[in-house]
Amino acid sequence: MIVQIITWLRDRMMLVKAFCIAVLALLLIGDLFVPRPHPHFLGDIIPGFWAGFGFIACAVIIIGSKWLGTAFLFRPDTYYDDIEQDRKTSPSQQKNQSTGEMK
Amino acid sequence: MIESLHSGSFFFHPALLFFLGACVLPFLKGTTRNIFLIVLPLTSLVVVMFLGYGSYAHVEIAGVDIVFGRVDRLSLVFAHIFCLMAVIGSLFGMHLKENWQHIAAWGYVGSALGCVFAGDYLSLFLFWEGLMVTSVCLIWLRGKEESLRAGFRYVMVHTFGGLSLLAGIFVLYYQTGDISFGAMPEGVGLAAWLIMIGFLLNAAVPPLHAWLPDAYGSATVVGSVFMCAYTTKTAVYALARTFAGHEILIPLGVAMALYGVVYAVLENDARRLLSYHIISQVGYMVAGVGIGTEMAINGVCAHAYAHILYKSLLFMGVGSVIAVTGRSKFSELGGLWKYMPWTFVFTLIGGLSISAFPFFSGFISKSMIIAGAMEDHLMWAGLLLTLASAGTFLHTGLKVPYFIWFNREEPLFEPPKSEAPWNMLAAMAIGSYFCIMLGCNPSFLYNMLPYPVNYHPYTPAHIMESYQILLFTMLGFFLLLGKLKPKALVGLDIDWFYRRGGVYFMAFCRNVPAAIDNGFVTKLHKTFFLPLLRLGANFSNWNDQKVVDGFVDGSANRVLRLSHYLRYIAQPGSMSKYLAGMLTFLAGIVVAAVTLALL
Repeated sequence: MIVQIITWLRDRMMLVKAFCIAVLALLLIGDLFVPRPHPHFLGDIIPGFWAGFGFIACAVIIIGSKWLGTAFLFRPDTYYDDIEQDRKTSPSQQKNQSTGEMK
Repeated sequence: MIESLHSGSFFFHPALLFFLGACVLPFLKGTTRNIFLIVLPLTSLVVVMFLGYGSYAHVEIAGVDIVFGRVDRLSLVFAHIFCLMAVIGSLFGMHLKENWQHIAAWGYVGSALGCVFAGDYLSLFLFWEGLMVTSVCLIWLRGKEESLRAGFRYVMVHTFGGLSLLAGIFVLYYQTGDISFGAMPEGVGLAAWLIMIGFLLNAAVPPLHAWLPDAYGSATVVGSVFMCAYTTKTAVYALARTFAGHEILIPLGVAMALYGVVYAVLENDARRLLSYHIISQVGYMVAGVGIGTEMAINGVCAHAYAHILYKSLLFMGVGSVIAVTGRSKFSELGGLWKYMPWTFVFTLIGGLSISAFPFFSGFISKSMIIAGAMEDHLMWAGLLLTLASAGTFLHTGLKVPYFIWFNREEPLFEPPKSEAPWNMLAAMAIGSYFCIMLGCNPSFLYNMLPYPVNYHPYTPAHIMESYQILLFTMLGFFLLLGKLKPKALVGLDIDWFYRRGGVYFMAFCRNVPAAIDNGFVTKLHKTFFLPLLRLGANFSNWNDQKVVDGFVDGSANRVLRLSHYLRYIAQPGSMSKYLAGMLTFLAGIVVAAVTLALL
């Protein structure tokens, strides 16, 4: 059942896209008519503030995190598995140390 | 209605049910066991619904009052969701033939309930450690070497947290003589910090958080469903109990909410991504505890309740994918929509709930914390938390479903023949039901909260605001999709310090101190200390032979010679000498007697 619905939607990708854009546009228009009895923030005064907030938040999170990742944090995903390799190849350096004769 | 249920004085510790059940479980098989797996958690849920307010199960040990059963509104809301989650989790794991995971899971649930009803720090500590011991079994039962190592890291990190908590309890007892588990008294300084560190570690507050993705990404499929619910939420409960209104928690919580979101972008493993979102979601709760108003504490409890349901639902969805395909990395998954459609729908419901879509459970709980922040004039906190919630939708609502079920026309591997077992789907269906039910009927949850609720999430402005944020985030997601393509990479996190840093430390030890030891110290030993020792040995040898032995031998020789003389005189050994001696002696006596008589 679900597979049929998804297939039906996937076959009409342009329609889905048009519908989504229509919803987004309706949200922006609808914002002008929503009652706000106690405005206490910019979002209650500027129509479409939260739409912009959501879009910019998304862009900032993706671009900012990716930048952090490529600049500092990314490693190949076998990074920690290599530790075992390191441990196996490292020489064990225990030596028997001679001590003075005791009587 | 709820008040009347709890007005009596009925008490039976729900944790006891789970501990006893875990003991009985190994003896049950087949259908009996499966029925038992559902009946026991359901019984515990009923027990929790009828517990009477009050303080029960007092035990006095060495003059200290140990309370195992403190029942109030705060503990009941957590106990309620813990038992409900046990029902869902046990159903989800019902297909497992062996019992070990269920035993560990029930021990884990019992420990969490023990923490929730604990009325003093010692019993809290007891169950706190129980949480760690039982949950590490859920990691190890996966049976992979990687899980074994992750389990040991988990144990070590949590031992640190547990010891910090224990030290804090001792200092608190020393300072105040009271270890009742309640709001932290003023001016206890060190004790409060130590206890807080213990709690924050279990709540996975950065920089004490890296155990969480590490452990939850390595646990068994069923184990991670349980683990995502209890450890962090028990810590949230403990924080709400002791540190409500401690303002330091606000920035910590907000930073946490954003930290999880940033790392979720970098994550390629589905369960590790969800783990970072636990950190993010618990950040809302920690911030709510820091705000500490009635509204915020209500929000914390509501969010914990809703969070357990949708996060376990997400872990169940991803867990089913792992169980069926054996894969958890986005770079290896994709294209499953034809093969696991129901799992997709349930995971999507979880994703919409965590993203706080109107009419899903996150909407009625998360917004309470944000509203609590706004009400307390913490505009910056409210805005940053809203930013984090956009990120949440971006990952859990969009990235997880998209890269597991779509992204490719067909999977890269042999497509699965069927969906997950029926019990997994049923557990997900129940979780989805509760996610939607709470969203549509918030009063079910609001009636359980510790304080009277004076909050209405469904105002037109709030719905409009949420839809704008979420749908424009979605627009951003699809526009920037190219940047999000999964790659086989990991992002470094704090666990680097004990995973890689530990290796470097060992290498340092091998190279620097060992080199100093081998080079300088050995040389010094050979050229200076060893000759010095030899000199001393020679001296003592000479001293021994000439001085000591000379003295000892000399005196021995003299005694020998003296005894020779004595023997020669006293015991010559020939009859004639004895006779001569005796006669001489007798003659002496006679001479003496005659001399005396003459005188």
